Amino acid sequence: MISEDMTRDISRAMRRLDAVDKSEGRSKYVSDYDFEDCLWARMVRSGISRGKIKNIKLPELPEGYYWVSYKDIPEGGHNYLHMIATDWKCFADDHVLYVGETIGLIVGPDKTKVEDLRDQIEIEYEEQESANTIDEGIACKGGAFINDNNIHCHLKLETGENVDHVFKRCDKVVEETIETGYQEHVYLETNGACCIPENGTYTIYASAQCPFYIRKSIAPVLNIDPEKIVVRQTVTGGAFGGKEHFPDVLCGPLLLAAYKTGKGVKMFFDREEDIENSVKRHPSKVVFRTGLDKDGNILAMDSKVYYNVGAYLASSYVVLQRGCFHVTGCYEFPNMRTEGFGVATNNFPSCAFRGFGAPQTLFAIETHMCHLAEMYGIDPLEYKSRYFIKQGDNTSTNGKVVEKVMIPEMLEQVLTASDYRRKAGEYAYGSGKGIGIAFYNHGGAFTGNGEQAIIKAKCRMHKYPDGTVEILNSQTEMGQGFHTIIPKIAAHVLGIPVDKIIYKDPDTSRVPDSGPTAASRSTMIVGRLVEKAALQVKERWNEEEFEVETHYEHPDGYPWDQSTFQGYAYLGYGWGVCVVEVEVDPCTGEVTTKGIWSSHDGGHLIDELIVHGQVNGGVLQGIGWASTEVMQNVKGHFKQTSMSDYIVPTSMDYPKQECFFVENPYEWGPFGAKGLGELVFNGSGAAYIDALSRAIGKRISSIPCPTEQVMLYMLEGKDIEEAL
Amino acid sequence: MEEVKCYMPETLEEALEIKSRVNAIVLAGGSDLMVSNKRTIGLTPVFDRPVMIVRNLPELKKIYINDKGECCIGSGCTSAEIAASKLCPWHLRQAANRMGAIGLRNSATIGGNIANASPKGDTPGPLYLLDARVKLQSIHGTREVPVADFIVKFKTIDLHEDEMITEVIVPYSEKDFDYVFWHKVGTRKANAISKITVSMALKFNADDTVKDFRLSATATGSKTNRSRDVENIIIGKKISTELIEEVVQAYDKVISPRAMPEFRREATRRMIRRFFGECARHAEGKVIETYDGYRMPGAIEL
Repeated sequence: MISEDMTRDISRAMRRLDAVDKSEGRSKYVSDYDFEDCLWARMVRSGISRGKIKNIKLPELPEGYYWVSYKDIPEGGHNYLHMIATDWKCFADDHVLYVGETIGLIVGPDKTKVEDLRDQIEIEYEEQESANTIDEGIACKGGAFINDNNIHCHLKLETGENVDHVFKRCDKVVEETIETGYQEHVYLETNGACCIPENGTYTIYASAQCPFYIRKSIAPVLNIDPEKIVVRQTVTGGAFGGKEHFPDVLCGPLLLAAYKTGKGVKMFFDREEDIENSVKRHPSKVVFRTGLDKDGNILAMDSKVYYNVGAYLASSYVVLQRGCFHVTGCYEFPNMRTEGFGVATNNFPSCAFRGFGAPQTLFAIETHMCHLAEMYGIDPLEYKSRYFIKQGDNTSTNGKVVEKVMIPEMLEQVLTASDYRRKAGEYAYGSGKGIGIAFYNHGGAFTGNGEQAIIKAKCRMHKYPDGTVEILNSQTEMGQGFHTIIPKIAAHVLGIPVDKIIYKDPDTSRVPDSGPTAASRSTMIVGRLVEKAALQVKERWNEEEFEVETHYEHPDGYPWDQSTFQGYAYLGYGWGVCVVEVEVDPCTGEVTTKGIWSSHDGGHLIDELIVHGQVNGGVLQGIGWASTEVMQNVKGHFKQTSMSDYIVPTSMDYPKQECFFVENPYEWGPFGAKGLGELVFNGSGAAYIDALSRAIGKRISSIPCPTEQVMLYMLEGKDIEEAL
Repeated sequence: MEEVKCYMPETLEEALEIKSRVNAIVLAGGSDLMVSNKRTIGLTPVFDRPVMIVRNLPELKKIYINDKGECCIGSGCTSAEIAASKLCPWHLRQAANRMGAIGLRNSATIGGNIANASPKGDTPGPLYLLDARVKLQSIHGTREVPVADFIVKFKTIDLHEDEMITEVIVPYSEKDFDYVFWHKVGTRKANAISKITVSMALKFNADDTVKDFRLSATATGSKTNRSRDVENIIIGKKISTELIEEVVQAYDKVISPRAMPEFRREATRRMIRRFFGECARHAEGKVIETYDGYRMPGAIEL
């Protein structure tokens, strides 16, 4: 039995409800299910980046083995997956647009036979020239394949005066380009799903973040009512955004295979297959033009944000929007113009990844600010602090910051703990030692009024006669701890033991749609709905059995216009400050991280231990992105395809972190909590690169920066203080 | 798909007898072979030849010092066993201790690491440095070949169809030198493949001239690189800036890294300079690190 002392502050840690099952190996992941008479499926994919399929030569298929392709889609069915856009094809037809595009499934009862058949399939292509980088996409290499300019999506934001006019009065206007690379999610459990047909309905079992997304996305393939598809999330071993929309790419074809064969069909990716053929974080390029007065004060900033979207748009317009909204970081600049471009390339489509577009622009602005400071001989901390945004200040979308911004308090915590001021003064540029600092935020939940206008989250709570209470919503546990904190919130409100609360992995036939488990929204939005439901249940506690339902309501007075992107983009931001100290090996360029200190504002924390898990993991994942996690794409092929060449950090790579928090209750969150899961990723990479670039005395404007790159910078990089 | 024929001999004699009849792939830890022949999850790896599993042959599990004072290591000894054995030379223990992750070190064997003939292999660097030989046995007899000759080139070894690697003999150890150096630049600090590894050792004469100097580097060409000609530049002479540069430049011509050449060349140059610099000033202690205060993760103490 797990007890939780209700008299304690909710922030105090309790043992995770899934801890024992997971550590004893009892949790059932999707590949652990054994369905009778279920067929195995293997995916057959495009081996080229762009071209025409001339011929598919299939081996002779023994009885009971099937080839499933777009040709099997029934009349009225659609060959697309409905993510946010509807352009991602369920199967390629006669053209392929990226390496790894699904062409068909080979399906049958014996796994080895399926594999052997798959090895014998030969596909003949007429290959076309492809565009694989942002620059090649913009240049329409091989000819545009999206619109007439390869731009999937575009947006523009302006605050203050027209920047071109302001530039004319500036002492100088400097230009700098900051670039970031691909990142692979490396969830512990690779992708897998299973589809079981029964009397015209289909049950999907999947390792996934968003069961309702899958239902909506794949129903058009058979042109059936989404209600005819039941999605059951199985225990999910990590996701990080990689299982937000991507499970649709497995489930759509599996649905069609189940329809064609009349049998259950399952498919699991192995690690290399998963890395080679799954979505990644968008590579980015941000071009700043910044107008300065003679003392180095910023008068205006023009930024162009380019994301490598890949072949299909899917969710990328929303990613790009978030990226553009966060390009001002934790600062208020007088005059801004930001333009975002989602660039089409013949690469595997990019998709959600912890931070959802914000980390790229936050890295860019933090790094650009450091370079401006160094060029004027000012300590980056001093320079950045001139522009800190405060409550009531203007945001990049001409809204206001609603909450109190506690950056000064957070800053003091990390400066004291890290001894930043002394070290920043003592470690000369190029001395091999460096300390760096970054500021970051993350807008919680869907942008603007999206929670009210698009998601319309619902949550139900059922009281049973025996005094147990069941929470019903579609939020998923994927390792982050959500299925511990939600029962904890309910238990604290109701004043009953946690083990009297039932909260199962979602099944779309049983739970209302409370929206995706994404966007740092689950705690602040759905947690609040659970809190409200629990309050209602508490009031009616003496009734024997009943159910209550709560709906999301957007607070009045914070308008948002989704067509112009103007207004209050986010009501609650998470805020963060991170300091990283490094030492560089003068012989080899190897970097040893000596210390990591961070402070985060996640409102009132629901569970300290779970939050520590988020901070420790997110901060290291951010440094990994900036340092060792090189993911190259050569003509559409990802080059790093295994755990031995895609280098995620280990616990040996970093020292123990010191984490701090501030108490800043969020008005509309449960017990004052707000989103934090993505925030913790958003700034450590910039702090690390700041420290590294000071240690080697060279300017770094592109990540990742692995050992060999550090050496190249030491040999021929630009000096840190050189004018931009 | 055809099934794989698998042999599991219980003695070395039996294994050699099988080898004389069947051209079987010898599998010890399986950490290379099972990976390179794997299929998707849940399926058995496919081999194009019969497989003979030798991981438990007692004759291949010994570590001892022979009557010439050389360290003899059974080819079936795992990296973990080598790292833990004080009989094994320091350079080799370091390399064994930083190979892969714990699980891999508990299964990967020194025989397999040599036979795999990867230019990024962890044990060949120290073995080249210390003039190690491999003992090759068949039912017809035994021969010994220097490791540096046995590994012919990338993924190619001088092994006859009926032979097995049974022992690795290492004639030198850190005791024969005044200063030793081993530095692996891994892809990360643990569970890492080598981006470059440099092994060095130096002994002075009483008059401060260099009595012996050795240098090997892995991941800098199609196989591990060592050149006695380059080493001879400084042997018999006193260390000087000019001689150091001569060694550095000469060694630069020996290595031929394809990927990341600037990095690999420059890191090698810098490590050689650092080592000589520390030797020349008669630094305290025997182990030279790449910079003062550096603490290598997982370092083996002398």
